[in-house]
Amino acid sequence: MKKLLVVLAALLLAMPVCALAEDYAASGSAAKTQLKEFVVYTDKNARDNHYIPSGWMGDYGDIKLNDQSADNPQAGTTSIEINYSGKKTQNQGWAGVYWQNPANNWGTKKGGFDLTGMTKVTFWARGAKGGEVIQKFIVGGIKGTYADTATVEMGPIELTDTWKQYTINLAGKDLSSIIGGFGFVVNADTNPDGARFYIDNIKFEADPTVKPEGKKQEGMPFYVYADKRSMNNHFIPSGWMGDYGDIKIDTASSDDPYLGDTCLKIVYSGKASQGARWAGIYWQNPANNWGNVDAGFDLSKATKVTFWARGANGGERIEEFKIGGIMGEFSDSDTAGVGPVILNKEWTQYTIDLKGKDLSYIIGGFCWATNLDANPEGCTFYLDEIKYE
Amino acid sequence: MLIPKAAHSILTKLSTNKKNRKLPACPAGRQAANHKVTGFIPVTLCICVLAAFLLGMAKRPQPKAFIKKLPGSRYQLIVDGKPYVIKGVCYSPIPIGQTSSYDWWSDPNKPWLVDGKLMKEMGVNTIRLYESHEDAEKVKIVIRDLYEKFGIRTIIGNWLGFWQYPCPFYGDKGFEDKIKQEILDMVKALKDEPGVLMWVLGNENNYSCLGQVNAWSTPEIDKEINPQKQKEMRYKIYYSFVNEISKAIHAIDPDHPVALGNGELIGLDQANKYCQDVDVVACIIYRGKTFGNLFNSLKATFDKPLYLSEFGADAYDAYLDKEDQNMQAFFLESQWRLIYQNLATNKDGSGNCIGGTSFEWNDEWWKHDESNPQGWERHDTVSNWSNGSYYFDIKAKDNKNMNEEWFGIVALSPELKDGVNKRVPRKAYYVIKEFWKNPNFSNGKKNNKK
Repeated sequence: MKKLLVVLAALLLAMPVCALAEDYAASGSAAKTQLKEFVVYTDKNARDNHYIPSGWMGDYGDIKLNDQSADNPQAGTTSIEINYSGKKTQNQGWAGVYWQNPANNWGTKKGGFDLTGMTKVTFWARGAKGGEVIQKFIVGGIKGTYADTATVEMGPIELTDTWKQYTINLAGKDLSSIIGGFGFVVNADTNPDGARFYIDNIKFEADPTVKPEGKKQEGMPFYVYADKRSMNNHFIPSGWMGDYGDIKIDTASSDDPYLGDTCLKIVYSGKASQGARWAGIYWQNPANNWGNVDAGFDLSKATKVTFWARGANGGERIEEFKIGGIMGEFSDSDTAGVGPVILNKEWTQYTIDLKGKDLSYIIGGFCWATNLDANPEGCTFYLDEIKYE
Repeated sequence: MLIPKAAHSILTKLSTNKKNRKLPACPAGRQAANHKVTGFIPVTLCICVLAAFLLGMAKRPQPKAFIKKLPGSRYQLIVDGKPYVIKGVCYSPIPIGQTSSYDWWSDPNKPWLVDGKLMKEMGVNTIRLYESHEDAEKVKIVIRDLYEKFGIRTIIGNWLGFWQYPCPFYGDKGFEDKIKQEILDMVKALKDEPGVLMWVLGNENNYSCLGQVNAWSTPEIDKEINPQKQKEMRYKIYYSFVNEISKAIHAIDPDHPVALGNGELIGLDQANKYCQDVDVVACIIYRGKTFGNLFNSLKATFDKPLYLSEFGADAYDAYLDKEDQNMQAFFLESQWRLIYQNLATNKDGSGNCIGGTSFEWNDEWWKHDESNPQGWERHDTVSNWSNGSYYFDIKAKDNKNMNEEWFGIVALSPELKDGVNKRVPRKAYYVIKEFWKNPNFSNGKKNNKK
């Protein structure tokens, strides 16, 4: 009898392991088994969960993740609670987490799942207070030797304080190898006091009614910069050029903004730190995209870009303000600019004419450049309300 | 034969007057005589008008080469009565160990004969020369040899004093007159050579209007404090000067189109105001595998036919630090495909492109370190400029990925053959040769160089 009990206990212990092994074998190719859904998370310890929330990014010290929060789950007994402090612990200004397979796989090893046949990811989310801004939710997009075969992003999204279901359309995407099954990114600009939010029931689904999304023409106005905390902002001022050591940018200057609470303050020291004798910044999508990432916005509806600018003293000379013009594997579809411009001390609106331009693919949303010859002592200038119209 | 509208209306008018004239009553014999007299005048007039018209026609045969405008701002280059697509290369046969000042025109080994044979085999029908030689007879020999032996025509350029020290003094009458005379002398000397195809005025001189290179000014511009207005004033002076030369060339040579050489499309909105007398825009474009919105953008700013006077790719991977012929062939094939997509004959394209001359036929070993004669003997692999649209090697140090000495579609070997450096065609030579034979331009989505 004792032996029988031991055997039974061993069988009971072995069953979940076998089931898990079978599950992995099957889920290694969702396409082969024609799965209707493929779960990332339903409940803590649910046996059909896949992927591990191991890929912490940016200001990872700002994040606390509890995947067994019992605080009002959307379904089941637990949900995922994320606390983002916004303290910029690693001085990045943003943070995020990827659910990976296997854990900590940044495309350096084999893994992931063949999710061919899946057409969408659905999940539920809510904020603790409402108003929390998630910059983006992501499926795929991990680079490296064993890169994900697709990248799909959605956002920014402003959460409400009640559960709401969200869907990421995956129809038509190559899901044959997905290491990064799910992820989110938040930033301190849109959540200056941090954010606490919850996610539940994340799963891939094979829904034949979902059709591939065509390239979306963005509506107008399309802001590059409205206000520091505006979730309408697009593009990141990440493309520092020339004497990048000469540049300081404050994206939340309260020094007499033209509209709203903040404006951009740019200080060019003119020290020629890198010996180039000029400097400039591109606003890119995503950050640091010099044409190597296929992520252009279709801004075909725009006929002009307008922005407001002023110099700290007046008389500062900016050689050029422009849009587009980044050349790479995925180049901007066109470019247009205005300049040289001598700034006034008072806010002045400038316009870049876009008539006749092909704006179907823009990764370089805005740019300025100046040089030492034009500003021997450097210069300080302000920008606000940069938008496509 | 078509009768010109003016001549036709004169004839119609005379005929109508005759019909409407009310003749006075008179004896039959007299009436007959009157008829004879009154009929004589219009007939004579008709003959005179027709003769004048025919004489006019005789004086104005169809130009040897001209631009034909088709509906929808589509353009074709017509040469000897037939549509002509420029399938060309920029040509500067500087041998290993020499620099840009080398007088290759006087080379007794005649490198253009070696090159012309290879070019003909590839399908090249045009070369572009950046400038002429002071001895027009030498230039004629090169043009004639290439045309008569290989059927290759020549586009001849002039720098418009762009490299004169300390800067080109556009706006200065003495400077402009000197340059203009130099060009007109060249045109007079060469215009009757059957191998001449077109004249190109300037290269990237428009950048001087931005003050980016060879900056120049005038007292009036110096007085202007608004830098945008300064820029516009420079454009006005420069493009008006080009326009004036173009008109002067047309006056002495109606047989060949005149092109405005321009870096990218920069400043062409101003050329539209001041430079309408050029026939063609000759653009220098380095945008990797695509020309982007180039063709439509030109149509919107300066509606002229586009000749891509310089484009191409180097054959050296600055990141992996080794020759990569696949990379060069990939970019060049993509660029030629886009040129063909936008010829007037392709209804789906912009229709305003008339062909191109890729940069360049052969490598030039002097380019990286021009001031060092030892460098002329060395095929330098150091890059000195960056262009992200040639993305395969953009991760090279400081993103410098463009290798100026490796743009040839034929490499040069130190080994001599018939007195010139042996030519070694690269993969691009064969890929473009095949493309020209069977131009398949339906698929522009190829992304892999291998």
